[in-house]
Amino acid sequence: MTSPDGLASPGPIIATRSDSGVLGSRVDVAGLSKHFGSVVAVDDLTFTVDPGRVTGFLGPNGSGKTTTLRCLLGLVEPTTGTATIGAQRYHDIAHPARVVGAALEATGFHPGRTARNHLRVLALAGGIEESRADATLDLVGLADSARRSVGGFSLGMRQRLQLAAALLGDPGVLLLDEPANGLDPEGIAWLRGFLRYLASQGRTILISSHVLSEVEQTVDDVVIIARGRLVRACPLSDITDHGQRLVVRTPQTEELIAALAQQVPQARVSRQDDGSLLIEDVDSPSVGRAALDAHIELHELRPATSDLEQVFLSLTGGAQ
Amino acid sequence: MSSTRATSAAGATVIARRRSLLSAEILKVTSTKMWLGMLIGVALYIGIGVVATIFAPEQPGMPMPRLSTTEGLRNLFSTAGSGYVFAIVIGALGMTQELRHRTLSSMLLSEPRRNRVMVAKMGAYAGVGAFYGLVGVVFGYALALAFLPLKDHGDIPIDTMWQIAGGSILGCALFAILGVAVGTLVRNQIGAILGILVWVLLIEALLVAFLPAVGKWLPGGALSGVLQSTGFNGASYLPVWGGALVLVGYTAVFGVIAAATTQRRDVS
Repeated sequence: MTSPDGLASPGPIIATRSDSGVLGSRVDVAGLSKHFGSVVAVDDLTFTVDPGRVTGFLGPNGSGKTTTLRCLLGLVEPTTGTATIGAQRYHDIAHPARVVGAALEATGFHPGRTARNHLRVLALAGGIEESRADATLDLVGLADSARRSVGGFSLGMRQRLQLAAALLGDPGVLLLDEPANGLDPEGIAWLRGFLRYLASQGRTILISSHVLSEVEQTVDDVVIIARGRLVRACPLSDITDHGQRLVVRTPQTEELIAALAQQVPQARVSRQDDGSLLIEDVDSPSVGRAALDAHIELHELRPATSDLEQVFLSLTGGAQ
Repeated sequence: MSSTRATSAAGATVIARRRSLLSAEILKVTSTKMWLGMLIGVALYIGIGVVATIFAPEQPGMPMPRLSTTEGLRNLFSTAGSGYVFAIVIGALGMTQELRHRTLSSMLLSEPRRNRVMVAKMGAYAGVGAFYGLVGVVFGYALALAFLPLKDHGDIPIDTMWQIAGGSILGCALFAILGVAVGTLVRNQIGAILGILVWVLLIEALLVAFLPAVGKWLPGGALSGVLQSTGFNGASYLPVWGGALVLVGYTAVFGVIAAATTQRRDVS
């Protein structure tokens, strides 16, 4: 099986540690602020990321996600507050590449270096066996391209290579910045399964994205930020289960509105641009019964699920 | 004592880590083609320099010493040690390309102790510089010894040739470290390379040639002392040991400043 961009499917995922139990450490961001001159990139941000779960770190472009990750990784010095992994600052972790794996944007490659040599350099620098370079290339499905220069890689291949680099030290904590960016649908499906598998081993996984739909099938928890400030930090289900929201389509719109007003007065009904009705705070059997009693023909009656992006936009103020 | 053993084991780990960090920096150099291109540059530059020195028309009144004199022969051999421009340029390229391709951040994720990364990089490029210095003298000497019989020349000073070879290797190693330091401080690749070329080939070259009293204290002038060159109209530079000391001093000062500024700087 090959994917559209010509990549071999990744090999079987093999557990790489036997001393199982929880591998991951907790990630703590506490009162974190970062100012670049007069620009406040991150503003008094506090949240935690738990092991064994995939956490989506969400916010519009420029909301401070990458800066927060860079603070966690010791690349950027916080103005105030702390960002720790397993209660340690990145600098203080004795063997960081074995504890934390990170992928930051698909740009950190010398175009003339082969994928394999890129990983060998990082393995040597991190005190990791060089054989892990081949092992992780295999894991992300890049084994056939190992000896090609990265300059000729597609964006999807670079994302996979970033992921391989993050996995070099078989770390318990993975911090991935926009890992789904540039992946084709098959690649996204693969990434989803891969991250779920890694989380099931007890690892702590934080993935950032500016598109909620890209990660909504992958994440357990969400941390949503906008303009550098925390908007929500909660399980994903907390922002999706907004009570009952139904979409109803009928050729007798006015009659249905009247019938609902009479039989289920608590229902909030609003007309949608496409001619359907959005009905809130009532369950579908009640709507169906009201329609039947009034002899109203229904063409569609379904839960409104696809407006997660709307929830996200309203939470983040809609500003891109 | 178990605590002693634990301490020495930790010490061994630190040494192993530093060694593998150095290996990482060396692999970075050898896994792209830049070093080879620059090596060809060294060979061309020194080859042209040596041949031009031998076949330059010799007339009374020329500012440079003639091949029939000891100074003239010394100058010919020190031309073979003048690949340092390439050493400082590759050092600067090595550092600035990490910023340009944003590979520095992944390096610092593998080893967040930035001092160690800087030391390893300077060490690796010192090795590259020393290699250029060695290749330069071997190639330059070979050309010189091949063409000298065609000209009227004095006795070949074997001892001086060995000294100049050593000076070239040391000088190129130090200049490569200087290049890494300049790259760290300037950060912009084109800016760093242009700055180095304008300084080395123009400003410093003019000062060393026409104002040797000042020029001999500059890095390039100090290297001229190490390579035992004689300047225009018999101008003399620092003695070998003095030039070496000045050069080591410049390298140490710039190296420490470069490493210090890296410590807390935000990396993108």
